[in-house]
Amino acid sequence: MLSVKNITSGYGDVQVLNEISFEVNPGSIMTIIGSNGAGKTTTIRTLAGLNKTWSGSISFEGRDIHMLKPHERVASGIVMVPEGRKLFPSLTVEENLQLGAFHPEAQKRMEETTEEVLELFPRVRERLGQVAGTLSGGEQQMVAISRGLMARPKLLMLDEPSLGLAPIIVQQIFELIAEVCRRGTTVLLVEQNVQKSLSVSDYAVVMENGVLTLSGTGAELAGNDEVKKAYLGL
Amino acid sequence: MGRSVGFAIYGVIGLICIGLPFFAESDVVVAVMPPGLSGSTLLHIGILIFLFGYLATSWNVLGGFCGQLSLGHAAFFAIGAYTSSLLYIHFGLTPWVGMLAGAAVAAVVGYGLGYVSFKYGLKGPFFALVTIAFAEILRLLMLYWDFTGGPLGLLIPLTEDSWSDMQFMAKEPYYYMAFGLMIFGILATAKIGSSRFGYYLRAIRESEEAAEALGIHSMRNKMHAAAISAAMTALGGTFYAQYTQYIVPDDVVKIALSIEIILFAVIGGSGLVMGPVVGAFILVPIGEMTRVIFSTAATGVSFVALVNSDIPAVEKFAKYLDYLASGGGGGLALLLYGAILIFVCLVMPRGVLPALKSLQSWGKKS
Repeated sequence: MLSVKNITSGYGDVQVLNEISFEVNPGSIMTIIGSNGAGKTTTIRTLAGLNKTWSGSISFEGRDIHMLKPHERVASGIVMVPEGRKLFPSLTVEENLQLGAFHPEAQKRMEETTEEVLELFPRVRERLGQVAGTLSGGEQQMVAISRGLMARPKLLMLDEPSLGLAPIIVQQIFELIAEVCRRGTTVLLVEQNVQKSLSVSDYAVVMENGVLTLSGTGAELAGNDEVKKAYLGL
Repeated sequence: MGRSVGFAIYGVIGLICIGLPFFAESDVVVAVMPPGLSGSTLLHIGILIFLFGYLATSWNVLGGFCGQLSLGHAAFFAIGAYTSSLLYIHFGLTPWVGMLAGAAVAAVVGYGLGYVSFKYGLKGPFFALVTIAFAEILRLLMLYWDFTGGPLGLLIPLTEDSWSDMQFMAKEPYYYMAFGLMIFGILATAKIGSSRFGYYLRAIRESEEAAEALGIHSMRNKMHAAAISAAMTALGGTFYAQYTQYIVPDDVVKIALSIEIILFAVIGGSGLVMGPVVGAFILVPIGEMTRVIFSTAATGVSFVALVNSDIPAVEKFAKYLDYLASGGGGGLALLLYGAILIFVCLVMPRGVLPALKSLQSWGKKS
């Protein structure tokens, strides 16, 4: 579905990604794990088009997209839920959701999509009229994911959805992510919470200093000695 | 409930505004107002309120809704004033059409300025600096160019009272035109504010990155906002040119004008439809009244002579106050105006309108 070949990228003069290559298969959850500063967020931002692709290629459903602008990538079916939620705090939850349906196709089916999304996130339905900035962290994350789904993405990219949330909420969020995938949206996850994310992932890669060092199924990596030692503290 | 009270207050103020010309010179008003503040002066203040309310409302589209701090809106004001005036002087084109031409030119310039700034990712203070620079360059060019009349500016040829030439001896027609302009501004921004486009602008203001990640084309929407804001501001410029019938660069492109426009919007509550208008209704009268009240006396004593004089301290202090008060339109008036501004900023950092709203909801709870 998504095929990334030898991409490099960074900020200003500083190169962060060094020839990254991986594939995301349709209908699966793929996770990039790694510690702070490894380049996970840069990878996802490059895929979303918020960072320039310096070299290499990104193809989505057989089409080269690395030259496309962010809004064109959304129209082609790739949506990113940014790190730290980034809701529009002074707008209501409902307005936040509506802003997720930007491209014409999503706008046409907005009511239908809203219903589907709210069915998946009943907590969000309870909060529709509330100003987004007043929600709890977990609720904000749910709104952020809902907002991303409003564009009817084929591939949903989540940047650190567990960041700053209580363990019990983290558990709920991961269950919801698995449910999103079961309903037909492919998920690319970037996470520091290695244990939880590996448990829901079909496939995962480990990133260190801008290069991918390990890859395998979620279960394989969870059993890998290096991963255990470096990230799970076992 | 709160909503209907708000509408009722706006309605009453609107009716008073519409009726003002009919009782501006009545005995009651003359008796109540300080000397020099009745009749046509009152209408003049009204016109300034409406014009600045409208300009601040225009600025609000780009600066308030979209959060792009423009400190150079005087440039668009000047483009409106000069375009319609030049077309009128050279081709006899009625200012009504010239107004639209000015708005079109300003929109194109707004797009251009937006394109170069946003293409290179200029945000916040950097965008503000570009807009200041742009307005200053335009001012210098207008001082230098011959066709704009250079430092002498443009004098609009006088005709008789005429709607087609937008010229009148009396203040009333201007008063109602300015009022109409302000109502137009309110309706236009209300429409924008409740449209999808308005939501995109607010999304960009709150988090540009999240907006882009959702597929909102932030650059295109910011450019639209800049163009609309510029075109609206230009309409106000044409009105100003017709009202004063004389424009010079140092009046219409000065930084002070750009800042005043923002001041009204920010004090009233930027990003809200009625905020800028509320700001103008509060600040313009304060500014004008302090000016009129404190510029009447003249002591004729020089400051140095006052400092060196051998009189008791208490008396000296009173003389100081007299001296400040007689500062020829500046002095104490500006001091007081500044103090009021600082006070409002400290007490109501988000503007008067949001402060009133939270006061209302606080009252409901208790």
